[in-house]
Amino acid sequence: MELFIQQLVSGISIGAIYALLAVGYALVYSVYNFTNWAFDAFMAFGAFMAFVAISSLAMPFWLAMILSIILTIILSVGSESLAYRPLRERKAPRLFMMISAMGVNLAVVNIINLIFGGTFRKFPVESVQPIFVGNVSIGRMDLIAGAISFGVLALLWLFLYRTRWGLGIRASAIDIQTASLMGINNNAVAIIIFIITGVLSSIAGVFYGIKYAVFPMMGIVTIKAMIASIVGGLGSLPAAIVGSMILGVLETLVSGYISSSYRDLFSFLFLIIILLFFPNGLMGKNVDEKL
Amino acid sequence: MGYINAIIILCGINIIAALGVAILTGYTGLFSIGHAGFMALGGYFSAILVKEFGIHFSIALLAGGAFAGISSFIIGYPAFRSRLRGDYFAIATLGFSEAIRLLLNNIQDIGPIKTGGAFGYMNIPSHTTVFVTVVAVLLAIYFAHMFVTSQYGKNCIAVGQDEVAAQMMGVDLLKTKLMALFISAFYAGVAGGLLGFYFAYLSPSFFTITKSSDLLAAVVFGGIQSLIGPVITAFVLIAVPEFLRTLAEWRLIIYGFLFVVVMIFRPQGLLGYVEMNLNFARVWWSKYVSRKQAGASEGQAGK
Repeated sequence: MELFIQQLVSGISIGAIYALLAVGYALVYSVYNFTNWAFDAFMAFGAFMAFVAISSLAMPFWLAMILSIILTIILSVGSESLAYRPLRERKAPRLFMMISAMGVNLAVVNIINLIFGGTFRKFPVESVQPIFVGNVSIGRMDLIAGAISFGVLALLWLFLYRTRWGLGIRASAIDIQTASLMGINNNAVAIIIFIITGVLSSIAGVFYGIKYAVFPMMGIVTIKAMIASIVGGLGSLPAAIVGSMILGVLETLVSGYISSSYRDLFSFLFLIIILLFFPNGLMGKNVDEKL
Repeated sequence: MGYINAIIILCGINIIAALGVAILTGYTGLFSIGHAGFMALGGYFSAILVKEFGIHFSIALLAGGAFAGISSFIIGYPAFRSRLRGDYFAIATLGFSEAIRLLLNNIQDIGPIKTGGAFGYMNIPSHTTVFVTVVAVLLAIYFAHMFVTSQYGKNCIAVGQDEVAAQMMGVDLLKTKLMALFISAFYAGVAGGLLGFYFAYLSPSFFTITKSSDLLAAVVFGGIQSLIGPVITAFVLIAVPEFLRTLAEWRLIIYGFLFVVVMIFRPQGLLGYVEMNLNFARVWWSKYVSRKQAGASEGQAGK
């Protein structure tokens, strides 16, 4: 029972990281109808920046985190204006945006690989004693990661549903052309969205790095976020969050009770099973490729 | 000479796999970043047939291709039935190929057959020669050409351009997509088999996401709805890095930037929509002749 509760907490904290990533995808997808494949590169970039800030510049953790967020925002907005905006303005098919994003991903990941090498590094935070509740030990980092992730998601919700800017983004998600006719600045919306994307990917990258390791290909975990959003249902941000939680917990249970080498295999099988029996995801609406 | 042979063989294998991706991505508009998984399936299956059962390698290659093709239904059927398109289909294929790689990494033996897990499957008989590769490439190009110009190929193009319109014209979406995926995975499987018979060794580490990105790069650079484009780029993308070994680390970085540049300046790829026939030669020839005549008449007028 203790083991089960420990696994559950750990699963929820990894699920929270998936949720950050899944929401980041969903946000870009809902407005521009393409998956930002560069997202996983941003995540690795954010983790490496924080890593360098702590290990080489000896910054405290919170300062490194802020620096990493700022740098990732610059990368995210920069790639938007260089790689996506020209295509958007030409009204290119979404396929082209996707390929362009894959290009950004390949370039950024391999530049990181070239500079730092492909080795796995331990994130330089001192290991803190777990908290004991009765006999259950709970990792302090799991709690912090979970709390910050949920805090960020809550802030994002407030921003999207309680501010004028959020209203503008939601309007653009419904129909970007009509929204711009109503006086919403498309490019401002794009910049805000990619700032949010940068923040989400950087935080996810740092916490994922702390939980596992920092390495150039770490962004491959964003597949899990996409699987989570398919499992939840391609319909809404809440579905993406629920899907992430389910996937995070199930995965942790599999690696805890069966074998950690079959964890990733399980996620992919889970995706296929969900697609077979719940083609629209667990909470999805019957929509074609729409978020 | 051996070095040149090696490059020719590796280019040929890459061309066959890229043709498979071209049929799926270039013609049917379905994005796959998991073709390395199909290569792995075909490669291991045909290697096992030859090594353990002593079947002739040409039959084993076809069987490996068929095995990869049939396995593709595991991901294709649920994905197409739930109308998973575009990005999410790409995720599903990526997931599938990673799952295959993880399985091969973790499974040490299938019954009495030692596949070796992460160490790789050793001592596969060596059969892939330059001759075999060239014949396989020519056959692959011929059949791909026959397919895309047939009614089934036209259905694929219709699905790629507009699913709803295609469905209204009576194209069975599920069947067409599954067929494109089957053929595509078949090509990848044959390529994987050739790879195994060349190295006499197969390892799960051959079939990573990098391999899939390489194949996708060949199609993106070569051109949408073109066979000759991906064939040329698949050749170039293998041959050029071989000669520029010093740039090996930069290869994927350069690909990445090229993806963006190509999409911004020439989104249809180098030879997008160019059909594979000799018409272009005829057009060039007539242009060349007419320019020559124009030049000649200008020259006379100048006098």
